[in-house]
This record gives sequence, C-alpha cells and structure tokens, in this order.
Amino acid sequence: MTAVAPAAFQQSNVDYVAILPMLIVASAALVGVLVEAFAPRRRRHVIQVSLAVVGLLAAFAAVVWVAVDPNKVGHKGLTMGFTDGTTNHSVFALAIDGPALFMQGSIVLMGVLGILTMAERFGGVGPDAFTPSGASTPGSASESAAARAGALTSEVFPLTMFAIFGMMIFPTTNDLIGMFVALEVLSLPLYILSGLARRRRLLSQEASLKYFLLGAFSSAFFLFGTALLYGYAGSVYFGDLSKAVATGPLAMNGLLLPGAFLVFVGLLFKVGAVPFHAWTPDVYQGAPTPVTGFMAACTKAAAFGAILRLAYVGLDTARWEWTNAVVIVAILTMVVGSVLSVTQTDMKRLLAYSSIAHAGFILVGVLAFDRKGVGAVLFYLVAYGFSTIAAFGIVSLVRQNGGEATHLSQWAGLGKRYPLTAGAFAFLMLAFAGIPLTSGFVSKFGVFSAAIGTGGATGTTLAVIGVVCSAITVFVYARVIVLMFFSDAPDDAVEVVTPSMATTFSIAIGTLITLALGVLPSSLLDLADRASQFVR
Amino acid sequence: MTTRDLVFVVVGTITAVSALLAVTTRHVVHAALWLLVSLGSLAGCYLVLGQELVGLVQLLVYVGAIVVLVLFALMLTRAPIGPQSEISTPAWQRALAVVLGGATSALLAALLLPLLASAQVDLDRPETGTTQIAQAVFGTWVWPFELLSVLLLVALIGAFAVSRLVLHREGEAA
Amino acid sequence: MHTGMGSLAHTVGTYAAGLAAHEGEAHAATGFTAYAWLLVALPLAGATMLLLGGRRTDKFGPVVATALSWAAFVVGAIIFVEMLGRGADSRAQNVTLYEWVTAGTFKLSAGMLVDQLSMVFVLLVTFVGSLIHVYSLGYMEHDPDKRRFFAYLNLFVGAMLLLVLANSYLLLYVGWEGVGLASYLLIGFWNWNPAYATAANKAFVVNRVGDFGLTVALMLMFFHFGAVDFQTVLGKSAALTGANQGFMTAMGLMLLLGACGKSAQFPLQSWLGDAMAGPTPVSALIHAATMVTAGVYLIVRSAPIFEAAPTAQLVVVIVGAITLLFGAIVGCAKDDIKKALAASTMSQIGYMMLAAGLGPVGYAFAIFHLLTHGFFKAGMFLGAGSVMHGMNDKVDMRRFGGLSGAMKITWATFGLGWLAILGVPPFSGYWSKDKIIEAAFIGEGWRPWVFGGAALIGAGITAFYMSRLFFMTFHGKKRWDADDHPHESPRIMTVPMIVLAVGSAFLGLILSWNDMFVSWLEPVTGAEPEGAHPVVPVPLLLTLTLLLVAGGVFLAWMRYWRDDVPVTAPAGSLVTQAARKDLYQDQVNEALLMRPGIHLTRSLVFADSKGVDGAVGGLAALVGGTSSRLRKLQNGFARSYALTMLAGVVAILGALWVIS
Repeated sequence: MTAVAPAAFQQSNVDYVAILPMLIVASAALVGVLVEAFAPRRRRHVIQVSLAVVGLLAAFAAVVWVAVDPNKVGHKGLTMGFTDGTTNHSVFALAIDGPALFMQGSIVLMGVLGILTMAERFGGVGPDAFTPSGASTPGSASESAAARAGALTSEVFPLTMFAIFGMMIFPTTNDLIGMFVALEVLSLPLYILSGLARRRRLLSQEASLKYFLLGAFSSAFFLFGTALLYGYAGSVYFGDLSKAVATGPLAMNGLLLPGAFLVFVGLLFKVGAVPFHAWTPDVYQGAPTPVTGFMAACTKAAAFGAILRLAYVGLDTARWEWTNAVVIVAILTMVVGSVLSVTQTDMKRLLAYSSIAHAGFILVGVLAFDRKGVGAVLFYLVAYGFSTIAAFGIVSLVRQNGGEATHLSQWAGLGKRYPLTAGAFAFLMLAFAGIPLTSGFVSKFGVFSAAIGTGGATGTTLAVIGVVCSAITVFVYARVIVLMFFSDAPDDAVEVVTPSMATTFSIAIGTLITLALGVLPSSLLDLADRASQFVR
Repeated sequence: MTTRDLVFVVVGTITAVSALLAVTTRHVVHAALWLLVSLGSLAGCYLVLGQELVGLVQLLVYVGAIVVLVLFALMLTRAPIGPQSEISTPAWQRALAVVLGGATSALLAALLLPLLASAQVDLDRPETGTTQIAQAVFGTWVWPFELLSVLLLVALIGAFAVSRLVLHREGEAA
Repeated sequence: MHTGMGSLAHTVGTYAAGLAAHEGEAHAATGFTAYAWLLVALPLAGATMLLLGGRRTDKFGPVVATALSWAAFVVGAIIFVEMLGRGADSRAQNVTLYEWVTAGTFKLSAGMLVDQLSMVFVLLVTFVGSLIHVYSLGYMEHDPDKRRFFAYLNLFVGAMLLLVLANSYLLLYVGWEGVGLASYLLIGFWNWNPAYATAANKAFVVNRVGDFGLTVALMLMFFHFGAVDFQTVLGKSAALTGANQGFMTAMGLMLLLGACGKSAQFPLQSWLGDAMAGPTPVSALIHAATMVTAGVYLIVRSAPIFEAAPTAQLVVVIVGAITLLFGAIVGCAKDDIKKALAASTMSQIGYMMLAAGLGPVGYAFAIFHLLTHGFFKAGMFLGAGSVMHGMNDKVDMRRFGGLSGAMKITWATFGLGWLAILGVPPFSGYWSKDKIIEAAFIGEGWRPWVFGGAALIGAGITAFYMSRLFFMTFHGKKRWDADDHPHESPRIMTVPMIVLAVGSAFLGLILSWNDMFVSWLEPVTGAEPEGAHPVVPVPLLLTLTLLLVAGGVFLAWMRYWRDDVPVTAPAGSLVTQAARKDLYQDQVNEALLMRPGIHLTRSLVFADSKGVDGAVGGLAALVGGTSSRLRKLQNGFARSYALTMLAGVVAILGALWVIS
C-alpha cells in the first residue's frame, strides 16, 4: 500500500498565480461577510452586488491571464502539492489545465449574470426574490414584522460567491477528497439559497430541506465510493488511481466497480441524472427563480467538469468497469427527462425536466471518450448555461398579483401582449429544442456527433436515443411557444414587470449569446476544442 | 479468533444494531439516543483498529457535539417528540426499505467479503499514526483542510441568514 | 473506430477532384450571381418587417410582401439569364457568405450553390410564390390577420429558397426547419378552430419524425466524411467503392426518411390531408407546388449517395410506387375537393420519388415533373379556392355540380390543369409523367414490370379520380343549396390562375423542345445512360397509357356526369370506406406509435409519481395560496426520493455485478 504521507514533512508548492482566480472569488466572498457586519443597511445591497460583480470580473481576468500566460511562466499544470523526493511520487491537489480553466471562466461569467438577476429589487430595499426571514413560519407574525422592519437578505451575495468558489474548485481538484470538500462547499450555500424564496415560502422551505437531505445522502454515496477506491488503489489521487488500474492490483479488484460507480452517483446526483433526479423538479420549482437559473447553469457546469475529470483522468483506465453503468444512467436520464417534461404544467418544473434531459444529452458527450467529446461537452455547458439563466430570468418577470405566475395556463397569450419578452423566451425554447441557428443545435450536434464518431456502437445507440428524445422535447417547447403566441389570454391576465437594468442586461446577454453561438459558434468551439486536454 | 477480533465483532454489532434502531424508532428522542450509542461504539471500532486519534475525534465531534446539538435543538424548538401517525412512513415503504436495505447489504457483502482473505494489516504496528496524520493534514491535505474552514463559515452564515428573526424591535435587524 | 474528422480532413482535397463528375465544378461566384443572397434576404426582410412592424404595417404590408416576392423573382431571373450566358460546364457557382463553423479541422462556410438544379427551384418558387402572393391579396382581403399571413408567406419563400440554394446539408437543414415552421404556422393560421390547430400539430409531429432522419443522416455524413457540405460529401460518395455499403445504405435510408416526412410519402404521408386546413393559397404554394417537393429535391441532390447505396435507392423506388398508388386510391374516395387534390399531390410526388429512385434515367424527369406539377397543381388549387370563394367556403364536391356555367374562367383554367395531370398530349403532364412511366419500365428482371406496372395503373386511376373531381365540381346537375350564389372571382384571383393555366398547357411542350430541360440539368444529374430502353416498346406503352387514361375518364364520366351524384355519400364498398379513411393510416399510426408512446409516458409517470404533479395540476392548487394546498403540490416525501436513489444504485450495481 502506498503511504498516505511522506516520511518527513514536506511543504506544498503553490503557484499562487494559477490559483488566483479562486483566491479572488473567495476573498470577495469573505469581504462580503465583513460588509454584512459593518456596512450600513441601506448601502449594503449596492455594495454587495458591486463587490460580487467586480470580484467575479477580476477573477475572470485572472483566469484569462493564467490561460493566456503572457509571460510564458507556465501556470498550467499540477499545483498545490509536491513530489516526494525519496519515492518520486507526486501528490498534487489541483490540476490547472484547459478544461479546468474553461469551466472556471464560464462559471464566473455565468455567475455574473446569476448575481445580476438575483440583485433585482423592483424598487424595494432588498433583493426581491429573497425573503427577509427564512426560518419564520409563512404567514406568521414574525414574518410580517421582518417585512415591516425592512430587513433584507443581502447575505445571499456572499453565499453565492462561496458557491461559485466551490464550483471553481470542483472541476479543478485532482483527488477525491478535494473533490468531496469542493462538492460540499458548493452545495451548502445552494441548500440555503433554495430555502429563501420570498413568495410561496412553504414550497421553498420544503425544497431546501429535500435538497439538503438528499444531497447529504448522495454525499454519503460519494464518500463510500471514495473509501472503496482508496481501498483499491491505496490513494485518492487521480494519477495514482489511474496507474493502479493500469498495473492492476488484482487482489482488490472487487472494490473497483462499486467504488467507481458510487463516486459517480455522488456526481450524477448534482447534475440531476436519473434515477438520482427526484430532487430536481421540486428544488427548481421551490427555489427563488434567479437561484434556480444560477443553479441550473453553474452547478451543472461544475459537476460535469468534475465528471469529465473523473472519467478522463482518474478512472480512464478503468473505463470498462463503469461505462455500462453510466450508459444506463444516460439512457434513463434522456428518456425520463424528455418524456416527463411532456406532462408538466408548471414552467419551472418543465424547465427542471428539460434540464434533466439536457444532462442526459451531455452525458452522451462524456461517453464519447475522446477529446472531441470533451470539447463538445464544454461547449454544451456554456451554451446551455447562458440560455437557462436568461430563461429563468424571464420566468421571474412574468407575474400575477406580485407573485410569479409559473403555471403554463397563465402564460397563454403572453406573446400578444408582450411580444418582445415572449419572443425572447420562445427563442430560448427553440434553443433548448436544438433548432438550427441557436446554440442548442450546435451543442447537440457536437455531443451526438462526437458520440457517433468515437463512442463505437454504444455511442451510436446513445446518439440515436438522444436524437429521438430531443425530438420528443421539441413538442414541449413548441407547446410553450404555441401557448404564448396562439392561445387567447385568460381574463385575469398576467403581466410582465419591468426589470432593472441589471436583470435586463443579463437576460439580453443570455439571449444574445444563445443566438451568437448558433450563428457564429466557431470561436467558442475552437476555444473548447483547444481547452479539451487534461493534465495528469 | 483473537481477543481483538472478538471485541471488534461485539462493538461492530452494537454499532449496526443501534444504527438500525435509530432509524426505525418512532420516537425522535429515542432516535437521537440510539444515534449516540451507534456513533460512540463506532469510536470503539476505531480504537480496536489502533487508530486512537480518529476514535477520539469521533467521540468528541459526533458524540460530544453533534448528538448533543440534536438534543438541544429538539428541546429548544419545542418540536413534538412523540410518534406522529400522519407523517410516519407507511408500511409498504418500510417493507420496501427493508428489501432495499437488505439488497444493498447483500450486494456489498458479496463484493467485499471475498476480499477479506487478501486484506491483511498488522494492527500492532499501524502504518499511520497520529504523527503521520498530522503531517498529512498540514502537508498534503492542507488545501482541503483550509477549504473545510470555508465550509464551516458558510454553514455559519447560512444558519444566520435562514434563522434571523426580527421580533418586535424596530431598527437594525442584523 | 476512427478518430473522426481530424484524420479525414486531409483527404478532402483528393476527393474534391472527383466531384466534377457528378456535381459539376462549382466555381466561385462572379457577376450578379454573387448577389444570390438577395434571393433569401428579400422575402425574409419582408417577413421581419411585417412581424415586427405590427399594426402599423397593416395597410401596405401585404402589397410590400408581394412586391418583395416579385423582386426575388427578378433577381432569380437575372441570375438565370446570366447563367444561360455561360457554358454548360461553368454554370454552377458557389457563393460563399461567411465562415459559419470553424472548429479544429472542421470548417464550414455558409454559402449558396447556384447551379442548374437550384435555379429550376428558384424560378419555380419565386414565380409561383409571387403569383400566389397576388392571388392571396384577393383571397385574404377580408381577413383581419392578413398582415400576419403575408409575413408567414414571405417567411416561407425565404426559407424555401434557402433550402434549395444551400451549399451544405447543414444550411439545407436550416431552410428545412424554416419551411416546416412556416408550414406549421400557416396550417394553424386559423387556429381558433381546434381541428385546424390539431392538423397543424399533426403535421409538426410527423415532420419531426422526418427531421429525425435528416439529423441522423447529417451526423453520419459528418463522421464518415468529416464534412457536411455538398461538395465534399457528394464528391466522396461518388468516389466510394463498395466497401462502405452498410454505412451508405444507412445514410441513404435516413435521408429518405427525412424526404418522406417533408414530402408526405409512405409511411409518413398522413399529415398532408389534414394540412388542407390552412388557407387555400397555402395549400397551393406549400402543400402542392413547392415545400412538399423538397424531399424529391433532397433525393436528387444526394444522387451520389444513393448511387453508392443501391439498397437505399431501391427503397426510394418502392416508397414512390406505394405512395403513388396509395394517394391515387385515397383520391378516388374523397368528397372534400381540397383533400382529393391533396391525395393527388401525394400520388404525383410518388411519381417523382419513383423517378428519383431510378437513378440517372429518372432524375431529370423527376425534376421536370416536379416543375410541371408545380404549375398545374397550384393552378388547380387556386381554382378550388376560387370555387370555395364563390360557394361560401364549401368544400364538399357533392354539393357542387354544374359550376362551369357560373365560373367560366375558373372552369377553363381548372380544365387545362386537369388535362395536364391526365397526361393528355400536348399538355404539360404528358411530357413529364409519361417519361417517368417510360423510365420505370427500363431495367432488368422483375423491377421494370412491378414499378412500370404501378406507374401505368397509377396513371389510369389518376385519370379516374381527377375526372371525378372535375366532373363533380363543374358538370352534371346543380346540387347547390338555395343560398349559394356561385360567381366568378375578382380579377386579382383569376389572373394568377390564367397564368398558371397557360404554364400547365404549354410549359411541358416548350421545355421538351430539343430535350431542352433534360440537357440543362445534365451537368447536375448526369447523362441518361445510352441504350437504356423500356422492356415494352415505347409506342405500345404510349398507347397503353392513353387507353388507360381514356378508360378512367370514361368511367368517371359515366358515374359523375351522366348519372346523378347523390348529395350524401353512399355507404360504398369496403374499399371505398377504407379509402375515405385514408386507408386507415391514422389508425395504424396510432396503434404503432401513439399508443406505445402514451403507455411509456404513463408508466414513467407512475414510476415517477412522487415527482410529477400531473394528477394534481390544476390552476387552483397553485395560486390558491393556502398551505395545505401547496403541500399537496409536491407530494413527494424526501424519504421516497431517497428510496428511489437507493433502488437505482442497487439495481444498476446489481445488474453490473451479475453481468461481470
């Protein structure tokens, strides 16, 4: 068995420039906590939002710096660890490589849009989507007292920043323990954010609790899998795992399959893959809508980043052991996600099932086992993320009596009265459906063709199922479009409230990127393609 | 069978049985107490395996802090502690849970038991002592270790954001 | 397993040379052809203006849309004239618009292929399309949503032109979806009628099945050839040897599936009849003259793929033969004038498919028939629209009869179309359809007898049902209600009908002069092989065809002109009953596709019942606001979710463990 630690204490080598993006986000989050404590209340909102946005933009600049590396220092590679002088055995906690930097950059940018939608106030003192007192009983005296007192929940911004911090580490970690801690760092804020919806509180509290309990349950799977894999390889570092499988300690072979699968269960839970998807619709529906959008885009990106690393770096040599399991999950995810989206009557649940189906499509790309597949998945995540943030942004604007109107029947005839909003939403629906000239088409084409090209017979089967399923989902999206443009509005019609510049900006950017990636996908495809090489 | 084996089997059985009882009892305080027993005897397992540090940490953190916290929470929130029929698990679900739990155990047993023969560790001279663990935590694992502090901070802020109650006092709420 | 496009990219150049044989060398565009993008841009600009302009454009919008459509025709005509000025070998021009996708070694420029084949379509679409714009100015005059209608028409013209001008399958797919969207919008244009909305949805559903085929074909070619542009794909297909039969067959069959969906071919034909719910000009333009022929275009354009996949090619012929008989039989039983015409369209496209599947002997005639059919069928649809206009929007032919006196121009123009579709010399249909029948008789073994026979019998049935339609509408006793006052339509509607009727009468004759049309297409479709003769001598075949046609007309004359036509349909034989119900195609589709789909959904919903609120659903539960109602909304307990997860883990892990 490989020793856990070297004989003598050795200090970790850290390339601080390479981890600068993460440090910036973490510091911004910590400063946010201080702001919460010391800044006067009426200024807090503005300070928090600008701090978060500036922090994220600075982090993005740092990501670009690391990736471009103008001074040719060579920031890319393994960092946060050391090579044992006596055994020449490397232990590094972080892998700064193409996929990691690509994911970090996109998570940070999508995070900016997410923060901007969360910041919507509609003229109030605090963010409109969040309740000032999360734990109070809905309708109770303490709730109304909080509202009267003008309490506000600006903690959501540091919490979101912490989540983004965890998301940035998640696809970057080079070992199972680090991955687990990052998983928890990104999840915990999300559990809390899900429970803070201002309206339909009970739904939100329930969602939060379910997400937390099931998240803990899935974390247990992840940990158990980690333990089994440690038992197998004697190390939790991806490099060691891969080597151990290649050289093959046959005595412990029985641990490999359950270990690998259970670790995947923990990650597949986060992307909402079937049969670990049950939380998705409830949480998507219950969480404050801007949080749902943020979660759908960024968590998915981070978790798929981690899945990619695990599949292509840590367990690449053990592929034959676990591929079948993930293939089953991918098929189930696509079929269940697309078929059940047909029966939905609530817009947020519909988008939740749509996100499940998309997770299945992305898994098909992961199972291509080729650099092309990695590039396609990276592209898909960005394209889907921006569309989905914009879509949920629009959902948060459609209102009735002050609260969001998410039942499908309430959306009838929206296109006749608010053609621009409905038009943008219809366009995003077309993107989810994968109609040409939207980013959705390019991304679906990318993952499916990668699967056909290098996934062998399995890949082809998966791609065919994927195409059938995306044909099914087209009905769902078309139904929404038909409802908005061809149905008559009910008497108590909903209204589209006028958002602030920030929300307008993020919806517009999300929609424009969806269009741009459909018409001129080249530059991002190229970038994703160049960023698709892992270091080990 | 050595004494060590015997003790391990006993402690292990206590852990498993009390864990089962913790999830099957309909009385929430009982559940907390069974949890205490289960976590405590797990610390015993670690001790038998020669890992004093882990055993003590287990005892301190889980038994000393977490379960006590659970009990405090029960007392402070004045939550109903008796069995409640309307939210209790229906029989078919219990049956299904038994089947699934049994299946999981069987599956794991089928996977792990064959490996018993090849897994030999000399418990009298454990490879990883307290020194090694300390070196690992502050050397190799310093990054996740630091991250955990962030995690705790997040939990703190989260608890604050969720639970803040503005009672009857106007003015600064936070 | 190969590594995909990267490794294949370097071979592109080698194969591109081999393209010349089939595709004609596509030169970079010079002269006015470089402005071919205007063809697409003009109608799309119109659609954008009308849709975004809102009510402000109500007054002048329709006229502007019509003018833009004519402008596109003028652009097309100028390009055509310019093309005539070049030698036959340098007529194909490639207009590169911009680099669409560049990822790694995969490059795709969005561009247009202006060659002899696409030019035929450009002229057909813009000319017939513009005429129908004009006709619609009259037909839709009193519709409150006239502006939206013209916007959709313009959208359609733009998308259709994009479809035929695209220089890659990917861009073709964009146009393909575009025409589908326009068709969907126009079928459901009068969506206050639930039946019409259902028809639109049915068309949508069936077309998705077809599009699925096209998507898979796209991916297959992407990975087999590392490209999706015509030049590379077709060039490489032409240079293929027998080694990749299976792959080429799969690709061909998937393309055929796409073509079947769009062109209403067996087994995806069921939507066309229902699509007649749209306004009649739409039926004329989209569901007769242009969009539904896109499948034929796709097959002819992909000729090298089918040449390399004889099995797929055979399936094309079989599909064509089945559809042509199917449509003809259904056409005999329909009493709804538009549905009878729709069945006829289906059958005629069956002829084109059949020809397209015959290989080089048939390609040119498939396109030729497509062109003449575009004229006479559009003319007849406009005639039917004119009849409906005069008869209070009635469509039941049993309520017509003897209209020839009241609507002279409509009668005359319809009559010319009728003669053309019958294939009576010297009208258009004779020059194109009889050539297809002749071509179907070329070959060895059983094929010429089966396919030729089908085409021949189809001609006889066509003569019967078209004469039935013509006689029931315009001749025999008057069977109108008292409040029907049939009258001729205004000039703005009759002029397009006259123009189309003139085309129906003489277009075939003119284009057959000196084999003008066939030799025009030759650089694209390849030369007709020398020495290919029908197994039956041509004069005998001609006589036989004409005799069958005469027999069909005579039979129709006896039953629907000489004898009285009952106002309510008689029960009829089993065959008639089956034909009335479209030979039970809906029932078959339902049993084969819909039921399993519903069962799948139901079972999944059951399995997922804790997560789905389908049963609760109602609006009240959502906006009601009381906590108990809200609690019901999410009826899943976290513990059952956890149980699902655990079950999933155990099931999958157990399955894998058992396997290994």
